Amino acid sequence: MVNVTIDGKSIQIAEGTTVLRAAEQAGVNIPVLCDHPHLVPFGGCRLCVVDVEGMRTLQPACSLPVSNNMVVHTNTEKVLAARKFVLTLIFSDRNHFCPYCQVSGGDCELQNAALDLGMTHWEYQPNWKPYPVDASHPYLVLDHNRCILCRRCVRACSELVGNSTLGVEERGASSMLVCDVGVPFGESSCISCGTCSQVCPTGAIIDRRSAYQGLDKKVTRTASICVGCSVGCGIEVLTRDNRLVRILGRWDAPVNEGIVCKQGRFLPLDEERARIATPLVKKDGKQVAASWDEALQVAAAGLTPLVGKNGSGVAAVTSDRLTVESLAAFKKLFKDGFHSDMVTTLGDGEGVAVAADVAAELGAFSGSLESLASADCVVVMGVDLTAEEQVVGFMVKRILQSKTALVVIDSEENGLAPFSHVMIKMAAGAEKATLEAVQKALKDGSAADEEVKHAAALISKATHPVFVYGKRLNSAALKTAVELAKSVNGSLVGSLTGANSLAAAQLGLGKTFKLNGHQAVFVALGDDTPSQQFVQSVEKAPFLVVQASHVSRLTAVADVVLPVEMWAETSGHYLNLEGRLQESVAALKPAGEVISSLEALKALAAKVGLSADADWQAEITAKTSPVQLTLA
Amino acid sequence: MSKPKISSDWMCGCAGCHMSLLDMDERILQVAELADIRATPITDLKEPDEGGVDVGVLEGGINNTANEEVAHRMRKRCKILVSLGDCAVFGGVPAMRNFLPLEESLRRAYVEAESNDSECKIPSDPELATMTKVRAIHEVVPVDVFVPGCPPDPDVIFYVLSELAQGRKPELTGDLLHWH
Repeated sequence: MVNVTIDGKSIQIAEGTTVLRAAEQAGVNIPVLCDHPHLVPFGGCRLCVVDVEGMRTLQPACSLPVSNNMVVHTNTEKVLAARKFVLTLIFSDRNHFCPYCQVSGGDCELQNAALDLGMTHWEYQPNWKPYPVDASHPYLVLDHNRCILCRRCVRACSELVGNSTLGVEERGASSMLVCDVGVPFGESSCISCGTCSQVCPTGAIIDRRSAYQGLDKKVTRTASICVGCSVGCGIEVLTRDNRLVRILGRWDAPVNEGIVCKQGRFLPLDEERARIATPLVKKDGKQVAASWDEALQVAAAGLTPLVGKNGSGVAAVTSDRLTVESLAAFKKLFKDGFHSDMVTTLGDGEGVAVAADVAAELGAFSGSLESLASADCVVVMGVDLTAEEQVVGFMVKRILQSKTALVVIDSEENGLAPFSHVMIKMAAGAEKATLEAVQKALKDGSAADEEVKHAAALISKATHPVFVYGKRLNSAALKTAVELAKSVNGSLVGSLTGANSLAAAQLGLGKTFKLNGHQAVFVALGDDTPSQQFVQSVEKAPFLVVQASHVSRLTAVADVVLPVEMWAETSGHYLNLEGRLQESVAALKPAGEVISSLEALKALAAKVGLSADADWQAEITAKTSPVQLTLA
Repeated sequence: MSKPKISSDWMCGCAGCHMSLLDMDERILQVAELADIRATPITDLKEPDEGGVDVGVLEGGINNTANEEVAHRMRKRCKILVSLGDCAVFGGVPAMRNFLPLEESLRRAYVEAESNDSECKIPSDPELATMTKVRAIHEVVPVDVFVPGCPPDPDVIFYVLSELAQGRKPELTGDLLHWH
């Protein structure tokens, strides 16, 4: 600890802390542009200059470490004049005319900084050089005219996401933000995570969907979680007039610390499916609008006779993106109420059921994403983290720059392969044998395969190897993987597919779906899109009830359709791949006669004279989970 | 003591700042009580008194030789010159054309614009003022008070005028300071 005095306030702070962070601790505000709390200090914009006693020139607070008995002044005339001059030069560089900028009026950190310093005008006018606007990207617009070269986007792209698409070419006044080696943004290696647009302090990188839809002060912010996959990233949902405007990663979310992927940030805004606003029942082969009471009556008439008919009764399938509350009610109604032997999830609980099997035998084996931060070797097995659980992929890619070794073991093409030090590709089904070969090579250094030998060498060199497993490992292979990890004191992280797959697995909803002799099918689809294969497998059922938010091929063939909320309208709990219980909070109000999946299940239960009231906390903790559950 | 004289004029802007001035509603009577409102684009008198005024207010940037004359005339005849609005202070929206060659923006406006017919051509009457780059007023004549905003809020304009009318220099900070 060292003593520092900032604007007369003395504080004790850890050595190595920057003056900027120390000032924050002391409650002193220093304006910044290039600095971002989640990025490595860069010291590029000089807006944060401060006067340090004993130092000849003003110093950038963001990159100057404190030293003992340092005395800092952040508010002197000299400092304020320097800051104004810094902004004057930035404004004179490119086109920073506010009236035609999407972030003007509160959302621009550059404009805000100028207003905070009381700047009423610019001393120097710009040099009127036009810069290109790159609108080739499907989600983002890169307007070089607004760029202040702070490099937040460049640093976010490499430090947080590990993608390094953005960079800077040339030097000094010729410096330009560049994608890859100078290709259009839309043709670059960008993976559309949008982190750059989230950190951009000006209107240089804006996202197409939300641009000009309303300033920050006009929108409502709802802290929630993404239900796109099992990572469960913390997001902030920005809405205006009950309309989705923008989705941001939440910097204070422990899971993702600000980053989200394309699936979390942009795809939900691309929703084009039609909503179902009222219940529908089939009359004379045609679906017609009905009241809730009528629709539930028709559903109950078809389902009630099937109570207790095991095998020839009702088969029930749910999306694993519903809340734990809904999943537990679903299980209560169909497993305990209807006594159905086919109560499962869409996608057959792929991956998680396997992990649950292994957990039943070995106990909890999987851990938190935090382990990746200290990993010096990552082994990715049976999952393509550039396609699924992408944020985990970012966490892997971003540590590769710090000399972390990457081994990819998969039977299919894997997007991480180009970044890997070793890629072991084997035939589907040979995962267990491959992992055994790695384990053998670890023990005695012998392997028939060069890749296996190389992988084993990398793993054995590591002090903290982390093993990421996914759905293409079967139980036997996963068991081997767990043993392998244990033998080298490694950690495991699981890619568990659906947002609530873990909860579904804990509720025992992991069976492979088959219609068999079932006389009716109930599908709690939520806002999921059913696969063609699934639609084909259930459309022959004599009676089909679907509760869904959007029109799909499945709702088109249903006898009864019950309209329910989509993700942004629903509140409820989710268990992420770390076993962390998180809450999704409704940001939108549903229109029409739409109700939540949980309410719909309870209404149906009441109609058929059964219960859907379940103690979900007790249910999900009833058996060993692949990962320690954190319910608090 | 006689009331301070205020005069205003507009140049390369959209008249929106003067609209915002009128938007102060009945408070304009308070300004009229405090000050002698002389030539403005919205009063009958069109040129500031040759004998001089205390406060000159200019809206709009300077985009041709005619505007230059207006700016120089006002500067010469007023004690305190106020730049009113983003165009006057920065160049504003009209300054967008500075990023293009002048010919290109004229061609776009007078020939290519969708609302033009085939007869349209770039005006070339010798009596027309010569066009220049769009400039903020302080690039041409010294300015004493800057009032940014597109347009500045009526409250801001009222504050500025009433301060000036009472012989004080307005300080735009906090909520009174905004650009657009």
